[in-house]
Amino acid sequence: MRVRNVAAWGCLAAALSFGVAACGDDDEGGSAGGGGDSGSTSLTIYSSLPLQGDNRPQSESVVNGIKLAISEAGGKVGKYTIKYVSLDDSTPATGKWEPGQVSANARKAAQDKSTIAYIGEFNSGASAISIPVLNEAGILQVSPANTYAGLTRSEGADKGEPDKYYPSGKRNFGRVVPADHIQAAAQVAYQKDEGCTSLYLFNDKEVYGKGLADQVEEFAGGQGLKVVANEGIDTKAANFRALAGKVKSSGADCMFFGGITQNKGVQLFKDVHAGNPDIKLFGPDGVAESPFYTKLGKSLEEKTFITVATLDPKLYPKAAQKFFADFKDRYGKDPEPYAIYGYEAAKVTLLAIQNAGDKGNDRQAVIDAFFNIKDRESVLGTYSIDENGDTTLSDYGAYTVKDGKLVFDKVLKAQT
Amino acid sequence: MEAASLPEPAPARPEPSRSPREILSDNILWVLLAAGLAYFLLTDFTQTLQDVKTGLSNGTIWALIALGYTLVYGIIELINFAHGEVFMIGSFVAVSIWQTFEVDSTSSVLVIIGSMFVGIAAAMLVSGSLNTMIERVGYRPLRAAPRLAPLITAIGMSFILQNVGLLWRGTPDSSPDLIRSQEEVFTLLDVAVVRSDVFAVAITIPLLLALLWFVGSTRYGKAMRATAQDPDAARLMGIDVDRTISLTFLLGGLLAGAAGMIYALYNGTVQFNQGFTAGLIAFTAAVMGGIGNLTGAVAGGLIIGVIQAMSDTHAGQRWTPAIVFAILILIMVFRPQGLFGEETREG
Repeated sequence: MRVRNVAAWGCLAAALSFGVAACGDDDEGGSAGGGGDSGSTSLTIYSSLPLQGDNRPQSESVVNGIKLAISEAGGKVGKYTIKYVSLDDSTPATGKWEPGQVSANARKAAQDKSTIAYIGEFNSGASAISIPVLNEAGILQVSPANTYAGLTRSEGADKGEPDKYYPSGKRNFGRVVPADHIQAAAQVAYQKDEGCTSLYLFNDKEVYGKGLADQVEEFAGGQGLKVVANEGIDTKAANFRALAGKVKSSGADCMFFGGITQNKGVQLFKDVHAGNPDIKLFGPDGVAESPFYTKLGKSLEEKTFITVATLDPKLYPKAAQKFFADFKDRYGKDPEPYAIYGYEAAKVTLLAIQNAGDKGNDRQAVIDAFFNIKDRESVLGTYSIDENGDTTLSDYGAYTVKDGKLVFDKVLKAQT
Repeated sequence: MEAASLPEPAPARPEPSRSPREILSDNILWVLLAAGLAYFLLTDFTQTLQDVKTGLSNGTIWALIALGYTLVYGIIELINFAHGEVFMIGSFVAVSIWQTFEVDSTSSVLVIIGSMFVGIAAAMLVSGSLNTMIERVGYRPLRAAPRLAPLITAIGMSFILQNVGLLWRGTPDSSPDLIRSQEEVFTLLDVAVVRSDVFAVAITIPLLLALLWFVGSTRYGKAMRATAQDPDAARLMGIDVDRTISLTFLLGGLLAGAAGMIYALYNGTVQFNQGFTAGLIAFTAAVMGGIGNLTGAVAGGLIIGVIQAMSDTHAGQRWTPAIVFAILILIMVFRPQGLFGEETREG
């Protein structure tokens, strides 16, 4: 009997490990190919983004942006050949990024001797896991989409941030998208413009969502906007009708959701709107993607306001117009909001390799070159990378939704 | 399906006289639950009524899914982990049909009602046959195997179906709002009752009655009860046990399909991983009510619905899952057999 039990548990363990192994092998661009030591001229850039679930359209668009940038360079920088491998940090069971998968991706890149840079993650909570792994391996990491402030700076961060992400003591992480201390200020500015007086905050309890909601709460207080609640939601709940009732009895005239589409964004907006047809609903860049804004329906669209660091294509420099046209030519559809950041993340990474010159295959030299980027004229406008690894860009776009499309409203100049 | 779910009264047993204390300790859970409800009613009457209403209408969906767990457990003592996914597929089928024929809330009333019938029929049919097929392929060959083997098959089936859902509809989708889900129908004691509340209850009650009638009053139902009590004896009496078990899975699947269609219209969104959470909650409901007991599954679903709504309001939603399971543990400690459960055949 005992023997049989042991066999059964062994079976279970085997089944589980199979499951994990099956989940753990999701890279798109073929195998990593461990070839090449540090003296090699073949370099690999990894990206790690959630390619399953609601984030798929956005992430695919970012991957296409990266591919476009690399193919424009002819897959080469100086004497170095660039290979690109796209990894997936999500699992089918959850449909969004998952800690285990993120660290597997980061370890995979860290163990590949030809790795020169890592573009990712999409979600700030995920980067909080991958940065330390890549930091110890001394690999440049550039995120196209992380906005959580605490990844790079101490204001608006939790205790111990950002230093706890950098065990080696040196910085290796940067981003091309303005962080949430700027987005929070932009959100509050937008809310005030729309006549909000009291605000009900929800967050999805993730690093990004909660961090952003907390910063909005702080800024709103400073700007004389009353915050009646900042509540974490159960992202597995079937619906949020009871919460809609709470919003109603609180008397708030605006709601803000710090979170991402995958954490039941559409359901929350629908339920709060149904229970409170008059209040205005604000969302951050985490919901600025088609699985969110195409699913709202007419009456909810009129009450929805979104901020994202992407601006109206017309407001971008000429180079960006070419990007938008090339992207559509090549992939047959318009880019999602973050595609241009994926493109720029790859561009600036290639530039860092180029600036490192003969040391283009030296990881530390490439990191140094990245942190030395000044006054770069890019598709996003002219920016520098500051000592935290943050971009100096600070414009946020205000968007409304009409007929299942994001409609550019105005540029928000954040007063931080 | 134990004696407790039979409509006909159980044979009278001479009961030993019981002291009031024993009666109280037997019913302590009901007293506690009622006391909790009474406390909230006294402190905030309208809000609590509102929560009870929301909870009950949400709970009908959990109840329908819980019945599937309990039916299957009652007859072969297997926890069918794939059941939540069968429910998800039901949702997808209904929504796909409406999307294909481009029915939405602006279509004419006749078209809407007609398409709702088609939707629920198709969802039930697909979920029912899917569940039967899973039993035939995945569980029947393992019936003589140790208990763990079919359990793992069930988990595997659940993953397979979840991936089917992911391929079918990788991002969450909106269901057409055919019933104008959150429009108010009437207000009672300051509590607004919306269309989806009425809808969920109106579809669920006839289904429950039909199920009780089927299990309690038909020959097939009798065969199911007999198989549940003792499969070997049932076989000796000439009951086709395999067919009876298939029938049980079919019934469970039909209810899951109906629940899927209700869920789609009630909440307005469908998502490939909705089955996981729903399955977990419904399974909890079945255990809370006493697994294997039909009345218990329904009561468990409704009670969990109400607990969720009250906890959302008073404790904050981030605590809701913790509170639901804390109450489940409490119930298990006092009544391991569940609220309505009786001693099972294993004792």
